[in-house]
Amino acid sequence: MNKLVVENLHLQYGDNPILKGVSMTLSPGEVVALLGASGSGKTTLLRSVAGLEQPSAGRIAIGESVLYDGAAGVDMPVEKRSLGLVFQSYALWPHRTVFENVAYGLRLRGTSATDLQKRVTEALNNLGLGHLAQRLPHQLSGGQQQRVAIARALVYNPPVVLMDEPLSNLDAKLREEARAWLRELIVRLHISALVVTHDQTEAMAMSDRILLLNFGKIEQQGTPEEMYNRPQTQFTAEFMGSNNQLPGTIAQVADGRALLEGEGWRLWGAARGDLKPGDAATGIIRLERTQIANGAADNRIRTELVTGMFLGDRRENLFKLGALRLRCYGAAPAAGECWLELPRDALWVFPGANPA
Amino acid sequence: MTARTFSLPRTAVVVITASVIFLPLGLIFWQSFLNAPFFNPAKHFGFDAYAFIFEDADFWTAFANSIVIAAGMVVIALPLGAALAFLLTRTDLPAQRAIEVLVLIPVFVSPMVLAFGYVVAMGPVGFYSTWAKALVGDVPWNVYSLTGIAVIAGLTHVPHVYLYSSAALKSLGSDVEEAARVAGANPLQVALHVSLPMTMPALFYAAVLVFFLGFELFGLPLVLGDPEGHLVLSTYLFKLTNKLGTPSYHLMAAVAVCIVGVTFPLVLLQRWLLKSAGKFVSVKGKATRQKLLPLRGWKWLALGLVALWLVFTIVVPISGIALRAFVEQWGEGVKLADVLTLDNFRGVFDSSDQVRAIVNTLLIGTIGGALAVACYTAIGLAGHRQRGGIARILDYIVLIPRAIPGILAGLAFLWIFLFIPGLKELRNSIFSVWLAYTVVWLAYGMRLISSALLQIGPELEESARTAGASSRRVLTDVTIPLIRFGLLASWLLVFMIFEREYSTAVYLLGQGTEVIGSMLVSLWGAGAIDQVAALSLINIALVAVGLAVALRFGVRLHE
Repeated sequence: MNKLVVENLHLQYGDNPILKGVSMTLSPGEVVALLGASGSGKTTLLRSVAGLEQPSAGRIAIGESVLYDGAAGVDMPVEKRSLGLVFQSYALWPHRTVFENVAYGLRLRGTSATDLQKRVTEALNNLGLGHLAQRLPHQLSGGQQQRVAIARALVYNPPVVLMDEPLSNLDAKLREEARAWLRELIVRLHISALVVTHDQTEAMAMSDRILLLNFGKIEQQGTPEEMYNRPQTQFTAEFMGSNNQLPGTIAQVADGRALLEGEGWRLWGAARGDLKPGDAATGIIRLERTQIANGAADNRIRTELVTGMFLGDRRENLFKLGALRLRCYGAAPAAGECWLELPRDALWVFPGANPA
Repeated sequence: MTARTFSLPRTAVVVITASVIFLPLGLIFWQSFLNAPFFNPAKHFGFDAYAFIFEDADFWTAFANSIVIAAGMVVIALPLGAALAFLLTRTDLPAQRAIEVLVLIPVFVSPMVLAFGYVVAMGPVGFYSTWAKALVGDVPWNVYSLTGIAVIAGLTHVPHVYLYSSAALKSLGSDVEEAARVAGANPLQVALHVSLPMTMPALFYAAVLVFFLGFELFGLPLVLGDPEGHLVLSTYLFKLTNKLGTPSYHLMAAVAVCIVGVTFPLVLLQRWLLKSAGKFVSVKGKATRQKLLPLRGWKWLALGLVALWLVFTIVVPISGIALRAFVEQWGEGVKLADVLTLDNFRGVFDSSDQVRAIVNTLLIGTIGGALAVACYTAIGLAGHRQRGGIARILDYIVLIPRAIPGILAGLAFLWIFLFIPGLKELRNSIFSVWLAYTVVWLAYGMRLISSALLQIGPELEESARTAGASSRRVLTDVTIPLIRFGLLASWLLVFMIFEREYSTAVYLLGQGTEVIGSMLVSLWGAGAIDQVAALSLINIALVAVGLAVALRFGVRLHE
């Protein structure tokens, strides 16, 4: 198997640029998630790799085989690319049985009858669908339809499998189970996959590497840990988790740290980006790093409890300090005044006043 | 809006709808089991009428001809209609927008007018025939043969197949086609393995529809079948009127029951097909711009074939009528410049019954069309958001008139007016024709109304209920204002349909009830070709006005 390389890809609908120079790689056996809000261009990038969209410039190749090269005028037809694509809607052919849906790609490749029978059966068994081979798609549950769509994309051993929001059509409850199941399948079968998702938890759970897209450009890429724990931009920090935001002004900068100051509070945080005293800046801290403390100390602020919310496995509390609202998990404190600790390593200070 | 509450207006709508449908139909059934017309005191029950027609060789010939023509129409219209739909929705055929409009013209032109157009254009001494004879020495076609009738009927019913086929192709999610491309299928394989099989239910439905329309064909075989004596069931029924010298209502009723015996199962089959097609409706993916299949070099060949079809089904008959309306006579060796005249139109406007026919046709299209839409709306609202029995009963009731060919409905209403005391006066007014038209086109009108009602999300009405509006206030404040543009569009479509209708009015024709359609049948029977030509052209002009308004305001010409 070979490496998928996308270089400086541009794509526009009319005058509206969708991809503004995206580059990425996908190594054999690796799972990369394309993460972003709607309109970020993640699905367009995936469909461009499949050949279903028409880029205006750039290059897409898998090993020696060039799928698209704007400069050289190469644009391999969709059907020649031999990739697997799992559609968001699954796009199962309603007039074909499960077996025939999966077998279609092999039939087009002229696979012999015995080989075809063997490989389709194997693909269906791999996905736990062996007993459903003769059913029609409308007789299956959503989860089963999704598995058929995956089996259909895997059966002819494509070098890369593309998945467009593979879990979004499932119920919330089913989605978490399917996520674990899909990750296991990918690891077990050593699949190279490019997965589009808008859900950061899904992206972190399923992939080895995440590409965060923001309006047609890659905002940041890295392992799930890097993306979550070491965001380089405010956008990444806010996209990857649940956060408290503290808009304020820089009072002091020293040794990679910044002192952020607001109405009635001063906190030290890790400086991210170019900061000077007097600049507007925003402090971002994950909810789970914000802690309830038992009294005044370094990097703590005095707040007032507004309300508490019971979430089942934990409790979320809402505090206020002037116009500021802060949330954190933990046992419900007594009503009234409460100290919160925002550890200086966990509080990132980004330039700019506006939340991303 | 609970289904259980009794509502006087709703019940009244259901009762009136049921009676205008079941009374005439019941009368036909009852009459078919009498041995004489129902007004004859000597009548008694029996199967004499059936015995008579089943022993009549003409009946069986007509039956066979009906089936042959209907089957021939399917064979011709289905592949052409499907191909046309594919070319217009999935390829980069040039001039698509213009063709999409032209394709629908045969649907809105009266078959009686079209048939007459073929006679004057391609009959033995038609314009195109005499020109062809001058060129090649012989007329290479015969529109009066059974094959000729089937070919003309087939080609003029291509639009029906096109409509259903293209609707299915348009609603086909592009994701299933893309999935096939990704799996390794080229565009042709995608069409053969995915698009075509997935639109199969629509094609099958269209086939049944065309067969059904072929079975109830009247105008085309009446005009084209006459010279060589080819009868179909509807024309056999029409000729029976005078077969025995006395009114042979019992025989006509028996034939009518035979026709409905074939058409009603076909209507039920269509309904079942439409419902079972549901499982083929796939989850639609994201709306992505579809890539059209490039035709490349085949582009001009495809366009040429489409143009050829358009010339045959639209240009030839309509140009024939237009020419014939302005000449005194036509035949071999006649020079066009010598015979040009406006006398045909003078003839029409000098004749009081023909002037009345034009005025009545206009009234029935405009005022009558509005009243019909009001009736359809009342029925639609009576069943709207009703989950109980009423909705289901209405659902089936409105289906029944679909199975009754216009000529039968006209006959049935004639009998109702004669049979029920006190209705004689209505029979002599244009109201009788309007009532028959409204009932005959009930299923069509209901489709227009229900597609307008379907556009309204239930939460819009539910929120009005929660805000404190009674269910009647919801209708007047929310539902009706929201469908008003749909109602205006329906009015326009019903106008065109009523301008075009002819067979329903045939038996109701009398002093005061003339419309252009029935006048054409009557004048044709009397051999008044000049006036038929002039009236046909006027009829085409009326429909054209409706079509132009519809296009101007972007009304969708089919649901």
